[in-house]
Amino acid sequence: MSDPKIEGLELKPGFKGMAQDTSSDQTMFKGVHWGKAMMWIFLLSDTFIFSCFLISYMKGRGSTPVEWPNPSEVFALDAFGVPVPLLLIAIMTFVLITSSGTMALAVKYGYEKNRKMCGWLVLATALGGLTFVGMQAFEWSKLIHEGVRPWENPFGAPQFGSFFFMITGFHGTHVSIGVIFLFIYAYKVFAGHYDEQKRGWFTSMKGDYVEIEILGLYWHFVDLVWVFIFAFFYLW
Amino acid sequence: MSEIEKKDQASTHKIGIYLWIWGLLFVLSFFSYMVDWYQFQGLLRWSLILFFMFLKAGLIMAFFMHLFWERYALVNVLLWPMTAIACFVFLMVAEFQYTVFTRLFYFFVGG
Amino acid sequence: MSEDLNNNKTIQAQSSETLTGGGAGAAPDVDYVRPAEVQDQDLYHGHSFITKWIFCQDAKVIGVQYFLLATFTGIIGLILSWLMRLQLGFPGAAGFMTAEHYYQFVTMHGMIMVVYFLTALFLGGFGNYLIPLMVGARDMVFPYLNMVSFWSFFVAVAVLMASFFVPGGPTGAGWTLYPPQTILEGTPGSGAGILLMCLSLILFVAGFTMGGLNYLITVLQARTRGMTLMRMPLTVWGIFTATVLAMLAFPALLVGALMMSLDKILGTSFFMPTILKAGEVLEYGGGSPILFQHLFWFFGHPEVYIVALPAFGIISDLISVHARKNIFGYRMMVWAIVGIGALSFFVWAHHMYVSGMNPWFGFFFATTTLIIAVPTAMKVYNWILTLWKGNIRMNVVMLWCLGFIVTFVNGGITGIFLGNVSVDVPLSDTYFVVAHFHMVMGIAPLMVIMGAIYHWFPLVAGRFLDEKLGKWHFWATFLGAYSIYFPMHYLGFIGVPRRYFEMYDSPYMTSAVGMNEFISLAAFLVGAAQFILIFNIIKTLKTGKPAGKNPWKANSLEWLTPTVPPEHGNWGDRLPVVHRWPYDFSVPGAKEDYITQTTPPSEVLNTGVEKT
Repeated sequence: MSDPKIEGLELKPGFKGMAQDTSSDQTMFKGVHWGKAMMWIFLLSDTFIFSCFLISYMKGRGSTPVEWPNPSEVFALDAFGVPVPLLLIAIMTFVLITSSGTMALAVKYGYEKNRKMCGWLVLATALGGLTFVGMQAFEWSKLIHEGVRPWENPFGAPQFGSFFFMITGFHGTHVSIGVIFLFIYAYKVFAGHYDEQKRGWFTSMKGDYVEIEILGLYWHFVDLVWVFIFAFFYLW
Repeated sequence: MSEIEKKDQASTHKIGIYLWIWGLLFVLSFFSYMVDWYQFQGLLRWSLILFFMFLKAGLIMAFFMHLFWERYALVNVLLWPMTAIACFVFLMVAEFQYTVFTRLFYFFVGG
Repeated sequence: MSEDLNNNKTIQAQSSETLTGGGAGAAPDVDYVRPAEVQDQDLYHGHSFITKWIFCQDAKVIGVQYFLLATFTGIIGLILSWLMRLQLGFPGAAGFMTAEHYYQFVTMHGMIMVVYFLTALFLGGFGNYLIPLMVGARDMVFPYLNMVSFWSFFVAVAVLMASFFVPGGPTGAGWTLYPPQTILEGTPGSGAGILLMCLSLILFVAGFTMGGLNYLITVLQARTRGMTLMRMPLTVWGIFTATVLAMLAFPALLVGALMMSLDKILGTSFFMPTILKAGEVLEYGGGSPILFQHLFWFFGHPEVYIVALPAFGIISDLISVHARKNIFGYRMMVWAIVGIGALSFFVWAHHMYVSGMNPWFGFFFATTTLIIAVPTAMKVYNWILTLWKGNIRMNVVMLWCLGFIVTFVNGGITGIFLGNVSVDVPLSDTYFVVAHFHMVMGIAPLMVIMGAIYHWFPLVAGRFLDEKLGKWHFWATFLGAYSIYFPMHYLGFIGVPRRYFEMYDSPYMTSAVGMNEFISLAAFLVGAAQFILIFNIIKTLKTGKPAGKNPWKANSLEWLTPTVPPEHGNWGDRLPVVHRWPYDFSVPGAKEDYITQTTPPSEVLNTGVEKT
């Protein structure tokens, strides 16, 4: 994380430090694990993917000649006989943020080499993610039941369904992949792979709790994307 | 081939900060939900949505993803490419307005 | 983790003069280089044939694999271009050639050459082989991912080739794949063809992302001791920046391909407006075709530089080595590469001046397009100034370099024409455009590839390629390429439209017919000339002159490995330690006309070498 100690180099903070890091030899991101740097760059690339999706959505929604459905009504859910707007989406958002919080704590305990705590928190995160995917499946089936299809819907512009299924589907795929990896990593933490530096399955790198942070970055990113989807697709 | 780990000394942050951010995210999400609940419309709605969105995104990135504690070299590498996205967004706004304009124009005035 | 183990490892990895004593007589701290931050990489060494040569985790083998597969697809692209030229020069000469086939060949030729040939060759081929060697790493940082990257590319190519054999054939919508016509019936390959194309592109992007992460992190985080960013050869800078562009631009292509597939499979209308076909309204409606063009060119323009920047970098190194002079304005060259890379995300819609986009965009994009010409022109000046008063070796590599400069300037200048809206409008969709982009991103990068092959073949195979055959190869290619594309500018000026299967009795036919025949003959010649290289390689592998270590007397690290060709792990027991940039040629006062990057300062105390 912050302030790595590098032999033979006194690291300066701020922009001076940035100039120093950039002009130094060996590494540009001082003290950043290779895998973590890779995950960051990958997430940058992934950001561009989601940005392109959302920009396309903006362009599509902005230029469609037909009225765009009101998401507040489309995604309303009956609670005790009263339609509550965006109820399910609100719960999904809370679930995802909860799982993001447990993940952040898992990373913290991972660095403190608190194997038990870290493992349980990763597992909790995985369960949160699973809940999210489950609710998304429910949401999808509800909408499909109401006649929303990728190519048409009873509420208005056909692009509504297209963008909804594509964007939430792509996000849901990310969540699902995350959940799978969370379960795998929960197992690895409990099995002590990071304490004994066991090498991974596909790599000759030694196991280290930094991997939990790398996974955490991915998971927070999924949450981050949801923040944008929530704002642009459901609230806008 | 992992890096030389000096993480034992490296600060892990106090649990309080995570709990704080966690709480803030809940509150902010609640607020952005309230924007819809009270059916704010027009400019107020959009600015509130964007405000809460960027605040939430900023908190997640800064604290949960530790960007606040990372060195500037990494932070800058990650944030500057967003200008390309900003440019893309800006231009596509102009583009969809023009598309709608031509569609309506030819619909009412004729080709 | 155990601290002690790590510390021991660190000291082992400090393989250098600081510990063993450097040059004699000098103050010891002259040669001091900071100890290693990162502990030495553990590599997986394959033992069986399969792990050594097929599913190999050695970046050098992966590089060669990429190179061979990209060359294979390139030859397919070449054959397609032959067939197209046959039709254009001598209509009806190839009996099976229908208009549909022609469009399919145009499409596949474009896509193959841009994405599956040039991109894969420069980044996958040269990138994999050269990056770890040039920055002094043992291998790419994630060897397993690197291997998966190649095999994704392999599957992508297989899927692409499979589209030749599906009903309806490959897509024939032009390499830009513009909807709505791409997926409407009546366009060749609008069924399985376009789906396979999209699938193949998605696979390519996925595979490339894995490779790209490797290149980036290797350059950023796995350089050897003393190797600062500003001591990297420009080859690495070019490939690195191109990879950054690829990581940020390919997402747009991925999204575009995905949405188009959905339009085709599910009948969504992302890109499909309301369409009347033979009096009937199709089921599509409300979509935005121009959105695809924006997505495509948001990828497509950086893609041009993904091809060009590695070429810029490689040519800088070749010119410097073979003119025995330091590259003129190294820092300017680096900043030009970075600047071009950054600007390339703000110019995309200059491909769309006549598309019906918001007319104000023409102003914005013409301005940015002309701005991006500035760093590009600076690079050209610097190449020429590097040659100025150099001790030039007139060998085959240098010939390719000179050929590159000429063709690139030519293509660049026509680019200035096309970058201006008012000039572009009459020229768009004519052969002038074809001539422009073939000159600037077809022939020019090809010249670099050829130069790079002649330059680095002694490293990869340990033998020199034959110079005489090389000169034949160069002159046939260079003169032939000019014979093809120079007349095309003229065809463009008289208004001959591109992508036409045949001119029939149009007025163009009479004035352009002789020229078209000439161009076609030249195209056959140039294509055939490339087989000289293949023959040369086969011949050289058997009987070529052994090259030995550092045959070109170059400075950069890839020539300084303990064995030639380098083994897996590259550096034997000790990683090299770098003390300078790779361009110390003809330094006044030095014993030889080159000072390698690993030469410690104490050995060159009384020379005119500058601190880098």
